Amino acid sequence: MARNSFKIFPGALVCEESKLRGDITVGAGTIIHPSASIIAEAGPIIIGENCLIEEQAKIIHRLPFDQQNKDNTPVLIIGSHNVFEVDCTIEAPKIGNNNVFESKCFVGNKVTVSNGCTIGAGCRITDEQILKENISIFGSKCQIRESIDKPVPQILQMETLMKILPNYHHIRKPNKKH
Amino acid sequence: MSYITGPDVVKYACTCGLLKPIPQLYFCKHCLQIRCRFCVCHEVDSIFCGKCSENIPSAEARVKKNRCANCFICPSCQQELSTRIASKGPANPDDAKSPIKKTYYLSCYFCRWSSRDVGIPDQPSATGGWPERENVHINRLQEVLDTYKQIMHSEKQQKESDKRKQRGKFVSYTDKTGVTASALRKRIGLPDIPHAMLKKPKPPEPAVAKAEVDELPESIFTEPIKLMEVTTIEQRLMQPECQPLTVDKLFPVHKQLSIKQSLRCRTCEHNVSKPEYNPNSVKFKIQLLAYCYIPEVRFVTVEPLRAGQTVELIIKFTNPTQYQTTITILDLDLDEQAQYVEEQKLIDLTQNLEQALSLQEKQPMSLPSLPYSSGSQPSSLLSLPRLPSVIVKPRKIFTETNCDVAIPESSFILPPRDDAAEYDDSSEVHNFEDDPKLIKWRKSNKAFVKLAVTPRADLKLGDEVVCGFTMQHIYTNVLPPAVENKQPQKYDHKVRVFLTLGKVVGSE
Repeated sequence: MARNSFKIFPGALVCEESKLRGDITVGAGTIIHPSASIIAEAGPIIIGENCLIEEQAKIIHRLPFDQQNKDNTPVLIIGSHNVFEVDCTIEAPKIGNNNVFESKCFVGNKVTVSNGCTIGAGCRITDEQILKENISIFGSKCQIRESIDKPVPQILQMETLMKILPNYHHIRKPNKKH
Repeated sequence: MSYITGPDVVKYACTCGLLKPIPQLYFCKHCLQIRCRFCVCHEVDSIFCGKCSENIPSAEARVKKNRCANCFICPSCQQELSTRIASKGPANPDDAKSPIKKTYYLSCYFCRWSSRDVGIPDQPSATGGWPERENVHINRLQEVLDTYKQIMHSEKQQKESDKRKQRGKFVSYTDKTGVTASALRKRIGLPDIPHAMLKKPKPPEPAVAKAEVDELPESIFTEPIKLMEVTTIEQRLMQPECQPLTVDKLFPVHKQLSIKQSLRCRTCEHNVSKPEYNPNSVKFKIQLLAYCYIPEVRFVTVEPLRAGQTVELIIKFTNPTQYQTTITILDLDLDEQAQYVEEQKLIDLTQNLEQALSLQEKQPMSLPSLPYSSGSQPSSLLSLPRLPSVIVKPRKIFTETNCDVAIPESSFILPPRDDAAEYDDSSEVHNFEDDPKLIKWRKSNKAFVKLAVTPRADLKLGDEVVCGFTMQHIYTNVLPPAVENKQPQKYDHKVRVFLTLGKVVGSE
């Protein structure tokens, strides 16, 4: 595994207790809760702006077995305005913008997530596929429906967290400039 | 409710002859009999909406087809819809101080369906005024409904007029002279008009069966199906009046109302379960659950079962009441139960006969006294309040046992339940003279009892072994408010308990 190296842009809020491994870049306005874990095992992870990564969320950059031992190191790029809710496990190789991963969902490492998708609470998505835009997956049977609009961003919640989290937790200092 | 006993290993025989695990049983304190949901009278106590927690009178509920007027459920995933606010800029763009105009739309937090998806315009008020969709078949339905209402009405009037004739309380002049209204009309030369009450309602146009159906459109065979746009069976059945084929026709559905139900013992007409009226409350005014009154039997362990071999069975007895009880294990004796059933039947028959005699010349026998209705499912008719309830007679237990239980000679005492016992470390001293052959171990209100059971010799490998016994316990009744100098009454109550021990295993 690569050595730990974190690039945190100003405006991002990364709690010191969060478990970060590998080469990780965190964009401005992104909040990472104290017990979230982000593990860049196969290559660097780049997280976009204004993402919310809640408690116990696990973002793991891990390659499928058949793609390992290749020369080029893949980069996991996570877009902006994504929400990773409590205790979700995400191993997707590519994530677009405005997605919501609800509590305890699981997204396997063969699933490419585009934009505006909602993965419902407890849903397990493992088969190789590309999720179309604005899809929402819900229920115990992982029903799929297409919405006309992307999920509403959680601006209020993020503003509150930006104010409250630094009062109770140590924050990693931003080490990058615009 | 899934109970900690898990699979139903121990079953109790209800008075109606069914076997059920104890959490599903009720105990009527007034007749001192076990009742289950099958043999009590189900009544609708109150009707309420589970989302807005509002009680709705039954008449209003009927008019609204048992649906809440204000709450909706998602047509896509059947969860409740919430109202969301969307701000739509200031009402007057020139004036910076004018308040921001708010609009409301419905949204599902579960599948992210929203009323905007199907093009329902946002509403200016939170409470709704949501557009209702017209039912295309409304005229036909109304026609049929009206006809049935008329039939009902005329039948009712017919019955009433019959009653009046029989009673003969109000003897009219024409009745005395033997001249009926119709005969009188004929005599004076007027056309004979049938009585208004006896007029047959006009039947609606009958539906016509059709064998020819429209051809399927060409596109269905040529174009690939878009699963995202087709509705599921559940979604279609949610809206039976239009059954939308595509998702863009899904409209919010009014939420179905829920009921609070009270259960009434059919023999003594006392409630065994009555919920609190407040829809927010999950408590009960009356809840006579069997596991609060009857000692609970739990299966602990048994030696490997072999056909014809006596093995040791350990079961646990727990006293749930505040009173000491004595438990005696008796023979199952299903014959005795059958005999009791026969006796009850005889008593009932004679009663019915007397009733029928006294009722003679009155209206035909009402439903409750019909003997055959005893075993029938409680129909909706019976759930009408204040209807003389159908008495459920005890019935035979048909379960076979294939294992003999050696009946112990002595009985044992179970001390009352003590909620504090769990936290009390001091060793408790019981001065019960236990039979060491029977009692293995005891702690507070529990006792572990050893029984010797012998599966019948003719059992084959893999057969399920069922044994049973009658548990006689002393039930202390506190029902009549304790009168001074009067001890609570004690009764011997017998329950038949069946245990499924497991399967017969091979020899060594």
